[in-house]
Amino acid sequence: MAAQPRIPSHLRGLGVSVVLLLALGLFAACSDADIPPLERRAQELNQAIMCPVCPGESIDQSQNPLAVQMRGIVAEKLQEGWTDGQIKDFFVERYGPSVLLEPPASGVSIAAWVLPPVAFVLALATLAFAVRAMSRSRSPRHGAQATPTQVSEEDMARYAGRIEAALGIGGDGAKAETRPTDGRDGKGSG
Amino acid sequence: MIDAGQLALAVAFVIAAYAAAGSFLGAVRRVPELAVSARYALYVLPLVLLIAAAALLYAFVAHDFSVRYVAEHSNLAMPRAYTWVAFYAGNAGSLLFLTVVFAFLCVVAVLSIRRKLPHTTPYAVGIMGLVLTFFLGIILFLANPLERLPVVPPDGQGINPLLVHFGMFIHPPVQMTGLVSVAIPFSIAIGAMLARRGGRDEWVELGRVWGMVSWLILTFGLMLGAWWAYTILGWGGYWAWDPVENSALMPWLAMTAFIHSVMVQRRRGMFRMWNMVIIILAFTLAQLGMFINRGGAVPSVHSFAQSTMGWLFLLFMGLTLFGSLAVFVWRMDTLRSRERLDSWFSRESAFLLQNVLFLVVAFVTLWGSIFPLVFEASQGLKVGEVTVTVGKPYFDRVNGPILLVLILLMGIGPLLPWRRATLQNLVRALRVPLLAGLVVGVVVAAVGVRAPMAALALAICAVAAAGILQEWVRGSMSRHRRGESYPVAFGRLLAANRPRYGGYVVHLGILMLAIGAVASSFYSVQRDFVMRPGDVASFGGYTFRYLDVQRISFADRDEDVARFDVSSGGEQLGVMEPKRAFYPAFRIGATRAAIRSTAVEDFYIVPSEFNDDGRAVFRVYVNPLVWWMWVSGPVIFLGTLFALSPQRQPTPAAVRFPAGARTAKA
Repeated sequence: MAAQPRIPSHLRGLGVSVVLLLALGLFAACSDADIPPLERRAQELNQAIMCPVCPGESIDQSQNPLAVQMRGIVAEKLQEGWTDGQIKDFFVERYGPSVLLEPPASGVSIAAWVLPPVAFVLALATLAFAVRAMSRSRSPRHGAQATPTQVSEEDMARYAGRIEAALGIGGDGAKAETRPTDGRDGKGSG
Repeated sequence: MIDAGQLALAVAFVIAAYAAAGSFLGAVRRVPELAVSARYALYVLPLVLLIAAAALLYAFVAHDFSVRYVAEHSNLAMPRAYTWVAFYAGNAGSLLFLTVVFAFLCVVAVLSIRRKLPHTTPYAVGIMGLVLTFFLGIILFLANPLERLPVVPPDGQGINPLLVHFGMFIHPPVQMTGLVSVAIPFSIAIGAMLARRGGRDEWVELGRVWGMVSWLILTFGLMLGAWWAYTILGWGGYWAWDPVENSALMPWLAMTAFIHSVMVQRRRGMFRMWNMVIIILAFTLAQLGMFINRGGAVPSVHSFAQSTMGWLFLLFMGLTLFGSLAVFVWRMDTLRSRERLDSWFSRESAFLLQNVLFLVVAFVTLWGSIFPLVFEASQGLKVGEVTVTVGKPYFDRVNGPILLVLILLMGIGPLLPWRRATLQNLVRALRVPLLAGLVVGVVVAAVGVRAPMAALALAICAVAAAGILQEWVRGSMSRHRRGESYPVAFGRLLAANRPRYGGYVVHLGILMLAIGAVASSFYSVQRDFVMRPGDVASFGGYTFRYLDVQRISFADRDEDVARFDVSSGGEQLGVMEPKRAFYPAFRIGATRAAIRSTAVEDFYIVPSEFNDDGRAVFRVYVNPLVWWMWVSGPVIFLGTLFALSPQRQPTPAAVRFPAGARTAKA
């Protein structure tokens, strides 16, 4: 790649992908799925159930004897063919709904689940509204210029000069030019 | 010595109050002498506070258990080195720590802004003074670390053993420093607004610098915390979304939004109001974080309601929030933007979207953290009767997708041009990254992933990585065509626009973090093993023989150290020693995992229990790519420093005059 001054961009893209794929292959190789499905389900359940005596910690992470015992129960019930929901209900009956690390999606606590997506959508809507308002408020005065204008050769050369200056490349090609003081007319329609 | 410390605290309180009052009065009444004297008062403050801090240190070293705080957080057996940790192990000490650090930061900040922002400085000093007065008031009247006990106990209670870890020497102080440092850009921004200078973008450069300093310290605090959790808490993970972590994360999210949006003001003179709103939110969240993080040991959102101090903190938080919003509304007319947004498809819009999404994540995190309180209130329950838990599964599910969108945006946003992108621009800028993302996504799916989310997440990471590489490659190539060799071209490219290219380095670090997090949360495997000495087991390509366990007694703890002989694919990897310590005085057990870390994966053994009959239970994890998360720390650090390093000409590229051109004389 060093000798070629210009490499077609799709080739470069390929190069980039290859690098990424290598990194990927690394852990695709290491993630041997030698965990039986039942054990995996047990882990997922353990991570969703809280140890009642150590707030905030799941029975999966806690080493409290109670957590160890509860892990045993989970494994046992799974062996007996219980569903995930049944096992969760089993613990909720004994320790109350707070034993689950997620609030239930029913009753008052549905608010916990509803608000985040609502906030997301509202935020995006507000943003869309703001962007429209911000971009429209200039149109009355500059209605004509709001549409894309033809850029002359001269303008292009001037911009190229500025880009080069921004890149820090030697300045002798750039024309003496002051920046337009009125930023809104930066397109140089003059 | 203790009395001198007490006196110093009282004097410091008066000085801070004077700095606040004098500075505001001097600025408003236009009495420069008063403002200057207030500024000098601020300069003196750290020295006075050092006396108080020295008194507390002295009490610890001299085992002066007549001081309540010393008796509660140390004992005779505590190693000297842990004096440093004990200093901030409790509520009162951590407040003193915060105050001392903040006072020093204030002095440095004021020295850095004094000449460049002469009008803003008095107001900024006033705000810093107010914050310091509040802290010192709390320390003096509610949580005095130098308070005496009526009866002197023979020995202290000792230090919380969970804090006895190398990570605790740096994580809590860095975290607290990060939180309190948010007040610096806040003071500069609000000060500029008060001085009617918010619309002149002069505050932005220094606001950005201090914003990034603060962001960097917060980032480090969070990463050290994650590292501490990973190595000591022994559950194989690093982030549990508990209230303490969340309270430190929220200001980080807001500051991340701030340091990006402030770039738009710097370059384009836009988002002046928005930047004020963000920094106000960031400081409010930082205060919440300070309250929850202080003391460290038993924090929860419930502690707010349980103490007078909680209410005072809430009150101060409310006052700063509404006070600064009032200033904002009052000064709104000075904050009109110079320019307008041109298009949805522009870098400005991408920045705005990024800001909004970060704030949404912060809001969701806040919502999840306080939801138990909301739930109790709605059910008419008493405080503390928790009937709903909001834990890791909730946050993973709710925040995960938004964070993914943010990573995608991190890849695409910097590739968009300012003002307006045409379809041509978009295609040219995005085709390579999107193609890379597609390829990676398809390949990951083909290799066979369990979770479609994982494939999506990795594809998105690929887009972001390809975007950064494309910028570097294109920039270097265009310079190379001008006759520079590739390494020189690359180096000069980076140096030409430090905020931008430093930012890319930081993005690359964030990407390493993200890939590590995605890989370890989707591909981590674990299993419990019951073993007797001599047993051999294998898991995830590793074979490990349990050799023996030894009990070692220390003054404060008993340790059971297990030894494992580990090999992988016939290659000997040496002996690993996970251990479990028990602290009789606290009745607390703590584990130390043994971790063999490589760039590919971590092999992690942690003991669960040792039975008397010789059987022991170990949990073994294989966590892929976690190493990259810790390595991202230095990358982010260096990238931020590079972005911060001063450059002769900032912002809009000035056009050079040709050699020999004459400049007009004014």
